[in-house]
Amino acid sequence: MVSHAPSFEACAFRVGEHSFAVDSGCVAEVLHAAKLTPVPLAPEAIAGLLHLRGRIVPVIDVRRRLGLPAAAAETPRTNLVIELGDDSYSLLVDEVLDVQAIPLDRIEPTAAGAERAAAEAVTGVFAAETRLIHLLDPERLVQSLIKQRLTPFVRHGVSHDG
Amino acid sequence: MVGANDNEEFVQEFLVESTENLDQLDRDLIALEQAPGDEERLASIFRTVHTIKGNSGFFGFSKLGALTHSGEHLLGRLRDGKLTFDDRVTGSLYSMVDAVRAILRTIETTGSEGDHDFRDLAQRLTAVAAGEAVEAAPLRPAPADASPPAAVAVAAAAAATSEKPTSADRTASESSIRVDVGLVGSILDLVGELVLARNELRSIDTADPAVLAAAHRINAVTNALQETAVKTRLQPIEHVFNKFPRTVRDLAVSCGKDVQLSIDGGDTELDRTLIESIRDPLTHLVRNAVDHGIEPPDVRAARGKPRVGRLSLRAFNESGQVTIEVEDDGGGIAVAAVRDKAVAKGLVAAERAASLPDEKILQFIFEPGFSTAAAVTSVSGRGVGMDVVKTNIEAIGGTVDIHSRPGLGTTVRVRVPLTLAIMPALIVRSASERLAIPQAAVRELVPLRGDRAADRGGPRIEGLDDAPVVRVRGRLLPVVFLDEFLGLRERTACRDDGTVVLVRVDDHEFGIVIDGVQHGQPAAAGVGEAASLSTVVVKPIGSLLSQVGLYAGATVLGDGGVVLILDLRGILRAADVPAGREVDGASVAPLASDAARYLVCRTRQGRRIALPLERITRLEHVAAADLQPLGGRQVVRRGDGFTSVVDADRLLGAEATTPADAVKLVVVGGAEGTVAVSVGQILDVLPAESPLQADSATTGVSGLLALGGLATEVLDVSRGLPW
Repeated sequence: MVSHAPSFEACAFRVGEHSFAVDSGCVAEVLHAAKLTPVPLAPEAIAGLLHLRGRIVPVIDVRRRLGLPAAAAETPRTNLVIELGDDSYSLLVDEVLDVQAIPLDRIEPTAAGAERAAAEAVTGVFAAETRLIHLLDPERLVQSLIKQRLTPFVRHGVSHDG
Repeated sequence: MVGANDNEEFVQEFLVESTENLDQLDRDLIALEQAPGDEERLASIFRTVHTIKGNSGFFGFSKLGALTHSGEHLLGRLRDGKLTFDDRVTGSLYSMVDAVRAILRTIETTGSEGDHDFRDLAQRLTAVAAGEAVEAAPLRPAPADASPPAAVAVAAAAAATSEKPTSADRTASESSIRVDVGLVGSILDLVGELVLARNELRSIDTADPAVLAAAHRINAVTNALQETAVKTRLQPIEHVFNKFPRTVRDLAVSCGKDVQLSIDGGDTELDRTLIESIRDPLTHLVRNAVDHGIEPPDVRAARGKPRVGRLSLRAFNESGQVTIEVEDDGGGIAVAAVRDKAVAKGLVAAERAASLPDEKILQFIFEPGFSTAAAVTSVSGRGVGMDVVKTNIEAIGGTVDIHSRPGLGTTVRVRVPLTLAIMPALIVRSASERLAIPQAAVRELVPLRGDRAADRGGPRIEGLDDAPVVRVRGRLLPVVFLDEFLGLRERTACRDDGTVVLVRVDDHEFGIVIDGVQHGQPAAAGVGEAASLSTVVVKPIGSLLSQVGLYAGATVLGDGGVVLILDLRGILRAADVPAGREVDGASVAPLASDAARYLVCRTRQGRRIALPLERITRLEHVAAADLQPLGGRQVVRRGDGFTSVVDADRLLGAEATTPADAVKLVVVGGAEGTVAVSVGQILDVLPAESPLQADSATTGVSGLLALGGLATEVLDVSRGLPW
């Protein structure tokens, strides 16, 4: 089917049974088998830190973020490194699928019952030939993880008196 | 007062800036020639010339002023559309730029504008500006005694007054370049990459002397490169200091005061990002000192002080940090007013405030909102916005403290790290993780006693589950088990085979229990514990992870592994270190000795009591079943002997209660012997806030003392000793 409507390039990936896509313009690179450094007491969806040519990149486990069951230990995972402004993040996904042009007029609003945790980051749905692709806004995904300070400053009455 | 030296610095800055502006002017003129209608470009040229004119007026360079004034006039007419852009106009403007450049060079080498006057050029500029009336007519014929074309004259003047700069004697504008900060960042990143590659190279097992020699050279070059790359981020602190002579002068004039400013250590270097961060706090401190600290001349005279107040700014390097002191010889801070205000604002109980030393009282002016109160400002004459100063300095990992002597003056001392980009850090192990602790905060590494098999002779973790402490040279310090705190694993009772890293953050001192320090990094293998101290390049971890509040950043080690850098201030807050607050009782002054410190407990019946720390040998936690009755008293087996146990309530003349399953014991020793006092709860270690007030009337009590703002009975331990 040929569409002449405006479209945008999306990079599709798979997490469990679900397909997602992000604007391919923000994808910097794809890494397989990268070593992650865990971050104790970080939000659950943070899988760790990735060392990428001198930069430290936080890795967001999309599976955990969406509340899907953990993958089997031997399941290979892939890092989809994205750039948002000056910041880099990596999305830990099961598999990067392809890059395809998605016609804007065929993007539908998010279906009710979409993954609850992801709902705030999913901006629309596109019915591809064989699967349903959820369009993910990485900016919103990151923002949804930035909460109020986890440990508010506790003042013990006067803290500098002695 | 702006001294000659300060002025010279200003002139230097003016020269560098103007030379840069002239280069821009050249480019703008060329662009304008190609697109004469470009109004924005014209406006930019006008502004540049106007700036140079203004500055020359400020420094009293009259020739430069006159010349740029003529140029400005010409440009003004162009801008207003009274004159069209043509070759005559361009030519005269280029001549002006050349002349300005020549004058600047003369100033730079001789300190003055030189002998040549540029009246002819100025006249020509004025003539061209007036050109509208004679638009079609040829340029007015030159006078009979026509001077050579201005540009030539300028060149001659320049040649006469200045020597051509040699490479050894470069002009200020030529010896420095402006580099984008991002570029410096990428260079540092690349150097980091190089360090990793270097380490890989070193780990190759080879005996080939040629390879070894090459690896050795690469190693040396890499180290030097890293050092140099880091230095590119440093700037002398005079970038901040330079504007203070003017600030102080203006403020002194407006307050009717006479202030002599002296500046020392302006060449002390600091990371440029930090320079920006300390600019506002320092300005605030300087303004405060002039505005509120230093008295008007008549008041000073009446107090027998010189009429001219002295304000001194000093910067120097001290143990890896930069210290900046702002010191005035003014009236000091009215401690009594601060004390009253602190009590009035409910920051401290009145009786406690009375017992706190002046140094402590002064710290209240850093409390948020404290100093905005007008009453304090007018009475103490000091301290507006000090909380903001403190917050800003702490945000970059620095500290502020204040010392004041009434009538003699005030010193505010700001300490900031040299850079946030790179710092020495201790790499430690906890469970399966490696973490970095900023070395600036580390006071001491204390190996614990060791398990039974290998007694290392160090201290043990004492105290109870809810308040573990370690005793180091007679002081009990609270500890945090890093593994448990970070959720890496369960704390296994009181592990005694780890190491305590004693750290001091702000005024809090506490210990962090780790498994050990990281040994044998490839970069410095086999140097023992020293090897764990690395200079790490701090990398940001982004808002996603900095919100956790426990990490100051991350770094990449020589083996390529990523290590998180602990934010000790965050840990202090999150772990809610029990005695942290109390330990700060020993802050400003050197840590108080045990003689003035007490262990505060609650008896099982709820009475608040204190025991002098100097008498306490250890804290113990035993099962109730371990207490054995023995001839009307109880004993507990300790090592090879027995210690008698006495209930604190019993000492106080009340009925002893039977402890539940666990007993908390405070073991007290003295020349007379040892006894274990059984208590209900260990509360805190606190410094005495008042002298001991003897009390012989109450059973079991030797006196009364203010501890933690509360009147507390001190247990008469000697009564517990059965012999």
